[in-house]
Amino acid sequence: MLELRLVQGSLLKKVLEAVKDLVNDANFDCSTTGFSLQAMDSSHVALVSLLLRSEGFEHYRCDRNLSMGMNLGNMSKMLKCAGNDDIITIKADDGSDTVTFMFESPTQDKIADFEMKLMDIDSEHLGIPDAEYHSIVRMPSGEFSRICKDLSSIGDTVVISVTKEGVKFSTAGDIGTANIVLRQNTTVDKPEDAIVIEMNEPVSLSFALRYMNSFTKATPLSETVTISLSSELPVVVEYKVAEMGYIRYYLAPKIEEEEDTKPE
Amino acid sequence: AAAKKKTPQTTNLSRSPNKRKIGETQDANLGKTIVSEGTLPKTEDLLEPVSDSANPRSDTSSIAEDSKTGAKKAKTLSKTDEMKSKIGLLKKKPNDFDPEKMSCWEKGERVPFLFVALAFDLISNESGRIVITDILCNMLRTVIATTPEDLVATVYLSANEIAPAHEGVELGIGESTIIKAISEAFGRTEDHVKKQNTELGDLGLVAKGSRSTQTMMFKPEPLTVVKVFDTFRQIAKESGKDSNEKKKNRMKALLVATTDCEPLYLTRLLQAKLRLGFSGQTVLAALGQAAVYNEEHSKPPPNTKSPLEEAAKIVKQVFTVLPVYDIIVPALLSGGVWNLPKTCNFTLGVPIGPMLAKPTKGVAEILNKFQDIVFTCEYKYDGERAQIHFMEDGTFEIYSRNAERNTGKYPDVALALSRLKKPSVKSFILDCEVVAFDREKKKILPFQILSTRARKNVNVNDIKVGVCIFAFDMLYLNGQQLIQENLKIRREKLYESFEEDPGYFQFATAVTSNDIDEIQKFLDASVDVGCEGLIIKTLDSDATYEPAKRSNNWLKLKKDYMDSIGDSVDLVPIAAFHGRGKRTGVYGAFLLACYDVDKEEFQSICKIGTGFSDAMLDERSSSLRSQVIATPKQYYRVGDSLNPDVWFEPTEVWEVKAADLTISPVHRAATGIVDPDKGISLRFPRLLRVREDKKPEEATSSEQIADLYQAQKHNHPSNEVKGDDD
Repeated sequence: MLELRLVQGSLLKKVLEAVKDLVNDANFDCSTTGFSLQAMDSSHVALVSLLLRSEGFEHYRCDRNLSMGMNLGNMSKMLKCAGNDDIITIKADDGSDTVTFMFESPTQDKIADFEMKLMDIDSEHLGIPDAEYHSIVRMPSGEFSRICKDLSSIGDTVVISVTKEGVKFSTAGDIGTANIVLRQNTTVDKPEDAIVIEMNEPVSLSFALRYMNSFTKATPLSETVTISLSSELPVVVEYKVAEMGYIRYYLAPKIEEEEDTKPE
Repeated sequence: AAAKKKTPQTTNLSRSPNKRKIGETQDANLGKTIVSEGTLPKTEDLLEPVSDSANPRSDTSSIAEDSKTGAKKAKTLSKTDEMKSKIGLLKKKPNDFDPEKMSCWEKGERVPFLFVALAFDLISNESGRIVITDILCNMLRTVIATTPEDLVATVYLSANEIAPAHEGVELGIGESTIIKAISEAFGRTEDHVKKQNTELGDLGLVAKGSRSTQTMMFKPEPLTVVKVFDTFRQIAKESGKDSNEKKKNRMKALLVATTDCEPLYLTRLLQAKLRLGFSGQTVLAALGQAAVYNEEHSKPPPNTKSPLEEAAKIVKQVFTVLPVYDIIVPALLSGGVWNLPKTCNFTLGVPIGPMLAKPTKGVAEILNKFQDIVFTCEYKYDGERAQIHFMEDGTFEIYSRNAERNTGKYPDVALALSRLKKPSVKSFILDCEVVAFDREKKKILPFQILSTRARKNVNVNDIKVGVCIFAFDMLYLNGQQLIQENLKIRREKLYESFEEDPGYFQFATAVTSNDIDEIQKFLDASVDVGCEGLIIKTLDSDATYEPAKRSNNWLKLKKDYMDSIGDSVDLVPIAAFHGRGKRTGVYGAFLLACYDVDKEEFQSICKIGTGFSDAMLDERSSSLRSQVIATPKQYYRVGDSLNPDVWFEPTEVWEVKAADLTISPVHRAATGIVDPDKGISLRFPRLLRVREDKKPEEATSSEQIADLYQAQKHNHPSNEVKGDDD
């Protein structure tokens, strides 16, 4: 028996919007600690890892660990039927092949039940090693989203370089090049507007902008975003989900063209 | 922020060979190892025990760096490398080859796709038929020795087929969909892939080169032969809304998992353009030979001189009557090759390869060939060959000469037959020609009219072009197989089984005579009523039905054979020269090629610039203009001195007539068959029509060209000397 009641239903709606572009089908895993998802995009280039801790739910009952395969497009269709102020409850019986989403209006005068079929998904649950990152950048999520959008109108690859000077996002395309540099700035009115750059070692990596742009779909979830970089390692783009968890995107870097021509 | 904990795995996250196995173990006991404690699992703890039991993927690009897992990686690395280093063993003579030494996987384990891809790669460097057959044979033997249940899939992939031809199952993927899949799987833009495709002319090479700048989070499972083949069948099954999208995603999932030379061959397989210089016939031969080495079930019959050749022949022969690997392969494994003709018999509903006739040049030649033998002459109707199966349950299937299902094209044929078969007839296979017919004027109409009929899902009420069935052979009747019977008996059964109804169903007009004048008159009469000429068949000795064979017991004689090389030939335009003067703006001449079935290549045979009306030239030029490619295909064989202005995809088939054939230093047709270095070319070629019913691969074969040349030499020895290329 599974019953998860989330007062802030809009969070779940936003989470789904942040994931569904990257992944079509995924397994949601429920355990006593929380509600989580881990999935790769079909090209195995990006990985999304979501966690909503049990404490964040008003009511959290999960008798035994359960893995539910869902089509995220369909799930999103259903969640779109919930009002932004609605309380969402996720329910499933053990061994059932369906999951129920219940939407309650704040005034309790409307209750909607949506039942969705589950699917069998071959999931590859992949351990992601914790890493020591050379550089960590925290910045307003809106700013990051804007940068990715702007750069993708020029090129398809972004080079993110962190140096003493700050963090530089650059791209090149047929029509020209673009460079955007952000410097550390902690003297702001609101803490979420700060740009904090923690650099142990300078680092410079290339990534496909297409993926970055789908990560920024998580912008509504959090005012800030944290970007952690290390040479030759996937970048981690993390958005906190209220006080209850996070959504982390991992993206494998592109390697330089020269290596391309090397014999394998 | 990220944890400051240095783990040894961090340096090769993108292409880690062993990490992915964590996932698998978790799958096995789902629920136990779900993310806990609000952070991702500490891999160090997870990884170590897991990778022990794991059978990690080898990937050449993973860097064995750290000491801790170094040893294991060395082991994992060696998997691909081991296979790569051993693959050359396949080139050994089958007698010296030991499948045990070749296999790099456990018995019963799914055969890795890489193994087949590497074998293909080995073949791509060979041109000798015997070596290629040996490699294929040894490859199949390795599969039989380890995982025989994967043999069907391996054979299908080698033959580059998805399902028996008559099932009409095709991958149905356009080049643009493959381009999309490649660009998405490898993180390239579509434009880039397209551009490279124009440059390289082979999407397979593009795919191979695209595996590149984008690294991956985790490497997917290595592909297996069965996985690839099953996915192909799933792709073929996708239909309806979003089917292209679904096909693309399935291809993408395969492409993402490819390594080494796999993308090259996977892409070519998807395009159904393997082009490694061997054909389905070679695969059958290799299969037969592999079965001999695997023989536990039966011994070759005593006095078998060369069991290998004999076995190859048996498998090929059985395939002509039952072209279904899914039945033949298991029968080979369980019953052995010597029992195959007994265990695999032809089956109602499965098309048999139609028997074909050899061209001849005149009545005299026929009398010469059929001395002292009783033979019969039949009209050769100009329509579409059809093999009609009538099942016990009352349903019909109609197959074309290529075993394609034409049932939906000819509902009227089925209707006529069910009306005109006699009540005693419960099941049959009929060999016949379906011909367009004007029932008012009681006249046979030319093939061109027939080709205007719709091809699929024809509704009886919408039919504008009526057809008449001209039946000439009966292969099966009421549960009884007839192909081993003489034509005389088969024909009697045929005549007994149907009522004629002129304009709907008729028996092919026939005469039995050995009088030269009478035959000549019969030939003239056949041409008068709109036939192409005659087919001459042995009647009561050496007169069995020989499936899929161009037999000496059936000869064809066309009216216009006499003044030229005999039969017209069907050739593929592969290049063209810009027109000048009056022909500015269109192509002035085209380069034609025949098709070498064994080597799977198009060989140039002549330039053609005559026989075109202006309208036809316009039409052909504009139709081919959309097929222009930047560089010739790798499987084009063209003399160096020709230098055409543009090259084409092989798409059209043209029926061409020529004065005669001659040895040519320029053209490459049938090189190696008649002359070791020189090819054959056509003199004074003239375009008759476009063969819409033929695919480029069904063009006249190099072997047929060589036969025509030999026949001509035989009949007119003087021609050879004056031969001179135009």
